[in-house]
Amino acid sequence: MSNIIQAIKLDEVPFERIRSIHGEKTITQSYPNYLIDESKTSGGKAELIFFPDNEQEVSTIVRKMREERVEITISAARTGIVGSAIPFGGAILVLERMNGIQGIGFDEEERRWFIRVQPAISLQEINDFIKSKKFILDDQNIPQTESAVQRFNAYIYHYPVDPTEMTASIGGTIGTNASGARTFKYGPTREWVKRIRVVLSTGEVLDIPRGQYYAKDGKFIVKTGKEEYLVKIPTYKMPNAKNAAGLYAKPDMDLIDLFIGSEGIFGVITEAELWIKEYEPHMSNIAFFDNEKDALDFVHKLRTADRCKPDFIEYFDNNALNLLRNVQKKDPKFVNMPPIREDIKTAISFDIFYTEETLDFYFETIGKMLKECNSSLEDSWSAYEERETDRFKHFRHAVPEIVNNIIAERKKQYPDIHKLGTDMSVEDQYLADMMKFYHSTLIEAGLEYVIWGHIGDNHVHVNILPRDLNDLELGTKLYKKFAKKAVEYGGSVSAEHGIGKIKHEYLVIMYGEDAIDQMRAVKNTLDPDNIFNEGNIFPEEKE
Amino acid sequence: MKLVVLVKQVPEADKVAVDPETGTLIREGVTAILNPYCEYALDQAAKLRTDNPNLDIEITAISMGPPQAKMALLRCLELGADKAYLLSDRKFAGSDVWATSSALKEGVSKLVPDFDLILTGKQAIDGDTAQVPAETAEQLGIPQITYGVDVKLNNKRVEVKREVETGYQVLSAKMPALVTMSKGSNIRRIPSMQAILDARKKPLESFTADDLGIDEEKVGLSASPTQVDKIFAPPSKTGGEIIYGSDPKEAAKKLFEYLKMNGFLRL
Repeated sequence: MSNIIQAIKLDEVPFERIRSIHGEKTITQSYPNYLIDESKTSGGKAELIFFPDNEQEVSTIVRKMREERVEITISAARTGIVGSAIPFGGAILVLERMNGIQGIGFDEEERRWFIRVQPAISLQEINDFIKSKKFILDDQNIPQTESAVQRFNAYIYHYPVDPTEMTASIGGTIGTNASGARTFKYGPTREWVKRIRVVLSTGEVLDIPRGQYYAKDGKFIVKTGKEEYLVKIPTYKMPNAKNAAGLYAKPDMDLIDLFIGSEGIFGVITEAELWIKEYEPHMSNIAFFDNEKDALDFVHKLRTADRCKPDFIEYFDNNALNLLRNVQKKDPKFVNMPPIREDIKTAISFDIFYTEETLDFYFETIGKMLKECNSSLEDSWSAYEERETDRFKHFRHAVPEIVNNIIAERKKQYPDIHKLGTDMSVEDQYLADMMKFYHSTLIEAGLEYVIWGHIGDNHVHVNILPRDLNDLELGTKLYKKFAKKAVEYGGSVSAEHGIGKIKHEYLVIMYGEDAIDQMRAVKNTLDPDNIFNEGNIFPEEKE
Repeated sequence: MKLVVLVKQVPEADKVAVDPETGTLIREGVTAILNPYCEYALDQAAKLRTDNPNLDIEITAISMGPPQAKMALLRCLELGADKAYLLSDRKFAGSDVWATSSALKEGVSKLVPDFDLILTGKQAIDGDTAQVPAETAEQLGIPQITYGVDVKLNNKRVEVKREVETGYQVLSAKMPALVTMSKGSNIRRIPSMQAILDARKKPLESFTADDLGIDEEKVGLSASPTQVDKIFAPPSKTGGEIIYGSDPKEAAKKLFEYLKMNGFLRL
């Protein structure tokens, strides 16, 4: 264990042979997809696009761009919703050609399997591949015996991080420490990353396995060919609640955690090793309540139960259920579930581990909890066949989809209108207070809204649906109010989506200006010429 | 009143591929489900029970298949069947539609001899033959009504709204009878957690040919008069000839000429 890491120098490849597109006009006209991500933030532009095939090409591009003082925006699947992949000038480093699986490995010490991949492979592709059980020895670049491959192929494995958007790239999800519903059971991306390779601003590579480089006295030393960078870890205290806002910082932290969730401001991830685990069959369930208090009591009981911990606990408020009920009346196939009764005010969706042997015990335990919360096993939906659990998954995703459709419709009249979606978390004991605060503030303001999401992690999404520009202005003010309250309740201003280019002000609410300066100092140490992902997490210059 | 629902476990259709070399279905790794038409039949049975509380309706689901077909019967129990029987024996292996209906006939006669009505899917989505229900009814010597979309009970008779090419037809038959269902709600029902728990406490029994005293000669491969040579997608139809025209006389004349020219008419 050490706090000193040596960067590896790579040989240059001929720069002119790297695939690229030149010219702002050409890019705007012919390659507009690279100027936008799921945040739909407008104004993206770039003078250059590179499509490297491998790490060496990435390194060559970075060196060249640094020499020419051209900023680089790293781009892969562009599924982020805070604008991290949107360039505002300079070059776009598109990793889409680096999307291969390089091999499987078995860690003897940890007794766990892992997979080695390139950065632009999607989560779906990773899972399809490891579930296919078709690993063969020839495809490996990790030394492996035939018997090990056979042993691997005998079981079904998966990469359990599920941020809903399975077309997201692994590099992007590491850069944002992506999470999702199943984070409740499996934790965020961070906990599944075993090793990464990162190209730094010098063009050199850091190879960082977890568990090898730990901070000493709050410092890391990164040795490059020419210099030594002294990285001072920020001293702010991160919230205990689920958090994706700002840099990870702890006095005795692992170096790998500084890069995970750093939104690409320190370098380009060119390779990753991820833990994978045996696939566990699950049951999907939805319980119904005629009031929110009972539902929240049930959430509390369910998440503190010692012997039937769910994969996730998701929440739908009455407004969200009303959206679904309305669509069910017009287009039942879209929701594809039986009619939701009118007297139901709150629904709680949860997946649990399923075998025929454990089912009785689980359901009887949950049945007791439901009874104590004035609901029952009769008042629920349940499924375990794959085609049926797929329906439940679709149902969970239907609310945001319907919200987006409504907003798209309203945009026709007011082009500036957009959804206001929060992703704040709070500490366990403040959940009920925060929910009360959301509802009362929004009702008082007379805004149209729905609340749904990852209540198991005290992390729900408030979606405000502005009807006009006044609503939008009012909603934006409330967003800030919510952020302050979440911080007061020990939470994060962004538990999931990250800060990107559009949530800077909330990060200030959470940590204060001093903390931002400390983050900026780390950035200036590792990337002194500010070439990587300018404007992600904080503005380059103090505002 | 006793209702029997005959069901089949099938591979999930949209996940099945045909092996291009052998022409057989690739079932490996494909999940098995309750045949959707059989689920409609079960839904109809459950609806009849709700609509006729005074008739004290009992629903029995019966299937012939390998041991794992119990999962399809379990789904029937979750969705409202009161008991389920599986006819499972190596001796049944290789049965064609006739031998299958022979086994089902024996199963129904011995397990629910006093049944009033049999409901089943119009066909299974794997073989698509639609032969088994009709042959079972024939072997039981009871009337059958096929392609039902709605069923009502009327005294000792069953009244069925059935699909025909031009619309609907309503037929009625004296019970005991067999009805096949072709359509149901396009939103499948979802059982409650309680229903899933209860289903596992309902009777689900398995019977062999010997248990039921079924004559070995009547079932299995050797008792199957038909054999599947090959499964293949039918060749797509080519364009054909359409005769246009607003004057029927003119059009008929053209059609006549066309048929004559191409040797379809012997004059």
